[in-house]
Amino acid sequence: MTMSRAPASSPPHVRNAAYKQLVAQRTRFTITMTLTFLVLYFLLPVLAGYNKPLMAQKVFGNVTFGYVLAFLEFVMGWVMAYIYVVKARTFDRLALEAQQ
Amino acid sequence: MTLLLAAIIVAITLGVTFWASGRNTSASDFYVAGGRISATQNGIAIAGDYMSAASFLGITGLIALNGYDGFMYSVGWFIAYLTVLFIVAEPLRNLGKYTLADMLVYRLKDPKVRFYAALSTITVSTFYMIAQVVGAGSLISLLSGGVLKAEVAIPLVGILMIIYVVVGGMLATTWVQIIKAILLMFATIVMTLFILARFGFSFSELLGQVEARNGVEYLGAGVKYKNPLDLISLCLALVLGTAGLPHILVRFFTVPTAQDARKSVVWAMILIGAFYVMTAFMGNAANVLVGKDRIIEANAAGNMAAPMLAQYLFGGPGTTGGEFGLAFVTAVAFATILAVVAGLTIAASTSFTHDIYNGVMRGGQATEAQQFRVARMATVAVGIVAILLGLLAKNQNVAFLVALAFAIAASANLPVILFTLFWRRFNANGAVWGIVGGLAVTLALIAISPNIMGVDPPEKTTGRHVIQAPAIFPLENPGIISIPAGFALAVLGTLLGRRREEDERSFEEMQYRAYTGAGMDGTVAAHD
Repeated sequence: MTMSRAPASSPPHVRNAAYKQLVAQRTRFTITMTLTFLVLYFLLPVLAGYNKPLMAQKVFGNVTFGYVLAFLEFVMGWVMAYIYVVKARTFDRLALEAQQ
Repeated sequence: MTLLLAAIIVAITLGVTFWASGRNTSASDFYVAGGRISATQNGIAIAGDYMSAASFLGITGLIALNGYDGFMYSVGWFIAYLTVLFIVAEPLRNLGKYTLADMLVYRLKDPKVRFYAALSTITVSTFYMIAQVVGAGSLISLLSGGVLKAEVAIPLVGILMIIYVVVGGMLATTWVQIIKAILLMFATIVMTLFILARFGFSFSELLGQVEARNGVEYLGAGVKYKNPLDLISLCLALVLGTAGLPHILVRFFTVPTAQDARKSVVWAMILIGAFYVMTAFMGNAANVLVGKDRIIEANAAGNMAAPMLAQYLFGGPGTTGGEFGLAFVTAVAFATILAVVAGLTIAASTSFTHDIYNGVMRGGQATEAQQFRVARMATVAVGIVAILLGLLAKNQNVAFLVALAFAIAASANLPVILFTLFWRRFNANGAVWGIVGGLAVTLALIAISPNIMGVDPPEKTTGRHVIQAPAIFPLENPGIISIPAGFALAVLGTLLGRRREEDERSFEEMQYRAYTGAGMDGTVAAHD
């Protein structure tokens, strides 16, 4: 079974430049993106909880600020996923280099 | 007609199950379909796992009855996928394991961790499952005009799900999930187009009519959630819980590579996002076209809003079109519940067989045939437990059980996953404290919350609080307290535990593998 698997083929203590770059870039990217989306996302419940008049403010016709903000959250989700996919190509390349 | 259509869908999915049974030859096939599901298929299946009865029936109903507040569930459930995409999907796939416990033990090398991680997986899956089984039961009993009572409907759903999983394993479950996700998207898109046509393709016009019927407060926040902390607590559990849900995590082990894991999350985000945007149309249209009173009359929690809306859009009650619409949407909802429950059952029985039976009881020495047999037995056992608990919970509000599952996942699983992946000093003691503590704090807070405690007026008979006393903890969802508590206990346990050099060395090893995928040669099956 999986438990008896041999150690990874490339010894992990090999610390080449590509691997160091991968860890540094990936860690920074993950932290930045995660904090950004959490802050932007929590605008919604915080405003919904503490600024109800703003959420009920009509922006386009009968469409309220609350709905505009909620739809923008969806757009933000798709855009951030796209940014991640683009950035991940760099990570994939570095990961390949790291195993050379 | 409804029951006939539901029967046809069940028959098709059972057919898929028997087809898949011929291709299930190893334990790996059963657990993760041999790691050979494609990224697109897996993405649709993830979306299918996620667009459960709580999403389709529950959110539509919440928006129909409460306006904007219901839509906040949609946003939270969608945004949660960013957490999954950024943090857990690729590293988990790179570690190439079957379960959450595998991944933790790969780093922490302690059988205690395996046992508690499996326990937490089974607990979360079971709570999630009870909600689905209860939902299916009430759907069937409502549709059969009360002929099939919940006492009959719940075991019926339970038995069907056991058949899917025991016979078909993960491959069949994945295909059932895909078929159902496509049917559900189709139904949602058609309904949304009909709604748009009716309101001159203007969301503003639709909202105008919501305002005319219910008042302007339905267009903004605050109809359902008066206490801002309640809302923030719920949103925390939604956005952080998904990354700890076992049946979502197990889906990353069914694809060949980390790139595929990433692609499947992106596919899922496209589908889930489109679906949840449409809930804003469906919920508000159900409010205007069907009306709150009729929706509440059919089911006090609003669960029948979506099927009733379909009935209305296709011609109204009594017309052939209307009855067909009702039947189709209900049948899709039914298939949804079955598929989601099957996915949960796999996650729970895999965790039991792989982690507790093989990993802890047999020291990793069980043969393929033994594991396969135990996996099937565990499925039957999990199914029976879900049926029994479902019968006990048949009068409970299902949304509370789902929110409970999310809160447990966010408090007990997420801190441990994050620390395992990113904290060098983290150790087995911290993992046990995090899992057990997170689980205990969440369950304790739920037990003293308004979900369980409260004083009911004497004339109310259904949905009674279990404990007739004022709630001690004021919030419905414990996330705002239990999630930080889970993180804090994991940190405290780590610091109190012994610092060992080998733990930090295994961090290096794991990180190398998680980031590069080194040592992965294609599928999980290839390692056996």
